[in-house]
Amino acid sequence: MTTLSAAIEPASPDPARRRGKLGRFRLLASGIAGRSLDVMPAAPGEHPWTDGMTIFLDDGASAPGQVAALAVQASLIAAGSLEPGVARRLAGRPALTRRYLAVEGHRALAASEDVLPRPVRSLIERHIAARADSPAASLALALGREPVVEPPASFGAIRPRRLLASTDRRQAVPAEWAGPGRWRDIVRREPDEDAETDGPGDVAAFFSSPGAGRGALAWLLRRVLRLGREPAGGPLGAATSVTTRLAPWRGSGATPGTGAAPTLAGMAAPERRGRTYPEWDVNRGRYRLNWCTVNEVDPRPENGAALLVPDGPTLLRPLARLGLGLGRFHRRLQGDDVDIDAAVEARVDALAGALHDHAVYVETLRRRRDLAVLLLLDISGSSAESAGEGKTVHEQQRAAAAMLALALHALGDRVALYGFYSQGRSAVHLVRVKSFNDGLDTLVMRRLGGLVPGGYTRLGAAIRHGAFMVEDRGGTSRRLLVVLSDGLAYDHGYEGRYGEADSPRALAETRRRGTGCLCLGFGAGADLTGLRRVFGTAAHANVARLDQLAGVIGPLFRSALEARRMA
Amino acid sequence: MTRAARPYYVPVGNEEQVFKAAFRQGLSVMLKGPTGCGKTRFVEAMAHDLGRPLITVACHDDITTADLVGRFLLRGGDTEWVDGPLTRAVRDGAVCYLDEVVEARQDTTVVLHPLADHRRQLPIDRLGITVDAAAGFCLVVSYNPGYQSVLKDLKDSTRQRMIAIELGFPPADVEEKILVHETGIGQETAARLVQLGQAIRRAEAAGLREVASTRVLIAAGRLAAGGLELRDAARAAVAGSLTDDPLLTAGLIEMIDVYLAD
Repeated sequence: MTTLSAAIEPASPDPARRRGKLGRFRLLASGIAGRSLDVMPAAPGEHPWTDGMTIFLDDGASAPGQVAALAVQASLIAAGSLEPGVARRLAGRPALTRRYLAVEGHRALAASEDVLPRPVRSLIERHIAARADSPAASLALALGREPVVEPPASFGAIRPRRLLASTDRRQAVPAEWAGPGRWRDIVRREPDEDAETDGPGDVAAFFSSPGAGRGALAWLLRRVLRLGREPAGGPLGAATSVTTRLAPWRGSGATPGTGAAPTLAGMAAPERRGRTYPEWDVNRGRYRLNWCTVNEVDPRPENGAALLVPDGPTLLRPLARLGLGLGRFHRRLQGDDVDIDAAVEARVDALAGALHDHAVYVETLRRRRDLAVLLLLDISGSSAESAGEGKTVHEQQRAAAAMLALALHALGDRVALYGFYSQGRSAVHLVRVKSFNDGLDTLVMRRLGGLVPGGYTRLGAAIRHGAFMVEDRGGTSRRLLVVLSDGLAYDHGYEGRYGEADSPRALAETRRRGTGCLCLGFGAGADLTGLRRVFGTAAHANVARLDQLAGVIGPLFRSALEARRMA
Repeated sequence: MTRAARPYYVPVGNEEQVFKAAFRQGLSVMLKGPTGCGKTRFVEAMAHDLGRPLITVACHDDITTADLVGRFLLRGGDTEWVDGPLTRAVRDGAVCYLDEVVEARQDTTVVLHPLADHRRQLPIDRLGITVDAAAGFCLVVSYNPGYQSVLKDLKDSTRQRMIAIELGFPPADVEEKILVHETGIGQETAARLVQLGQAIRRAEAAGLREVASTRVLIAAGRLAAGGLELRDAARAAVAGSLTDDPLLTAGLIEMIDVYLAD
């Protein structure tokens, strides 16, 4: 029988505090695994383990013991030992899992030997490592009847259900959107890994496998199986429930899986009036005219708390330097350099007895600011994903938007800030946080603070309308559209190659009209290749942490402004 | 007068053959690679092998066409034309190396176009002349695409006039050899430094802006050769130079302690 674990340990709001001294191992873990990993303390009495994104270590173990356990878990990740296909086979079968770890642990360590610290290499039993050349071979050995040496304590444990749950959370975004609901927002409390069973977990794992399809039937089966594990009468999110609602949009009252449109907190119903825009159909190689309808929506700020702008490096300095860029002006009466051409001409004129000009200097002057910036903030459901550091992508993007708006406003630029999400091509919504003519006050910060992720991302239509607004209402000759998004272009009929082809088109159209475009992604684990696909040749960057924004924003703004008309 | 020794460069692929073939065909060369991977040293070695003088220009935001081509200066009551480094290289048949070329503004790098294609000419508007490149002239530019690609880039019309050589960090055995040669440390110490460097490179996604280059490993090796304990040397040359972030610094120091422990 499947047993259910106790409640998930409540997360401390401060991940740095939760990591404690183990935080110093994050780079080491990432170095061995070859990708960004976090390190956290395991629950008391737990063996070291990983969910594929974080390695959980015994906080009280010795430093060499922690390094050894970390190296094993990171090597398992690097060697592909914990891929979902394997985890599904191991789920609910602790004895098999243990045998698998006993073989695969050595194989993974041997495969990563070049990057392992020397003391850890002594853990490798080469004769065991030589018995398998892949996770599949280790699994076959574990499934067989041959004796397998028990793994040392430093190998920790593999927790297949936790791995699968973590994979679900990371990968479910586009997959689940294809279904009628958004049950990715439910976090299951995982059954105890030590309970050997062939219970519904395995069946659920089967139906969540890519091979089981992502259609309505598969979704329904998954849904039914999940609901079957909820206590009778326990509504989602209830304290006694085995599920925890993450509440991706506050106050909606909607349950996941209803297929109901996301209702953003404190947001008025979309206006009926809207502008239509074309969309690039990559499959047919032509535009679909008047394909998308974009509405501007006013939020109700009374529901949102004012956003507190994080402390940190101010963006004023890099943006001030940018906007007031130095220009070299020739033939000036004063300056910091001699204008050689002017001086030569003046000398020739003097020698010829002609009236000569004394303006023979090159002067460095700061140009007047003449810039309108529209900040377009992606508030679709995918931005509720974690960006690391205990924050979601949405929180990072929102804070960055606030910092940019404050800095640009203080520098005298015209700034507007809109959130965007969509529910199909006829319902692309831009949520007004600050228009060009609004002041930047508490009301704006409350509107910003009240934005909660929901809906999908029809990026191209949002960009086209954002460009229209900055061009129509900006009122300056230099214009910039800044898109803060995870770059996950996804909506009904806007998937994969189709969505990825439309967004760069929209950006290129905008730049051709003389409006600069700049795209910012946030989070250490962002898919940089995906960002490049979606943002094309527009200036773009992924910022792992908010405090790194000040370092890149100046050159990015400059690049975006210089790239106008070059599309 | 004896010829200077060849700058130490260990090839990791066919980059030397590609460069020399491009030189023989009068093609311009674009070197791409991360900071500290050996781009400059490679050009120095090639110029030595080909027997051509090397003129290096470190590009920056404010560099102008006049800085490259030349300008009139006032000498007393007269004006005198002074060639810029690019013009000197064109006249003398030298290798002209524009380091970090994407730092220069695009309106400046346009001056390279007639030099970089089949014409191999440098028009000097102020003199009203066009200088044909002397035999042996070779234009080489370099940049770091990982750092620059989203911020700055070469114009397509500039890029397509050049052949590209991509350089990365050398494999472990080659990097060890380089460290031993450049610093005088033993093979064993070099191997440990290289292993540390490779682990840091794999941890790049964890938030480091730049990874440990061969150059910083050489610096650590030189400090060790200068009498510093290896971990102290790595802390100064690697951890200190890669980041100012206290959390990342603590992570790097942990890696140094783990990988360079006695």
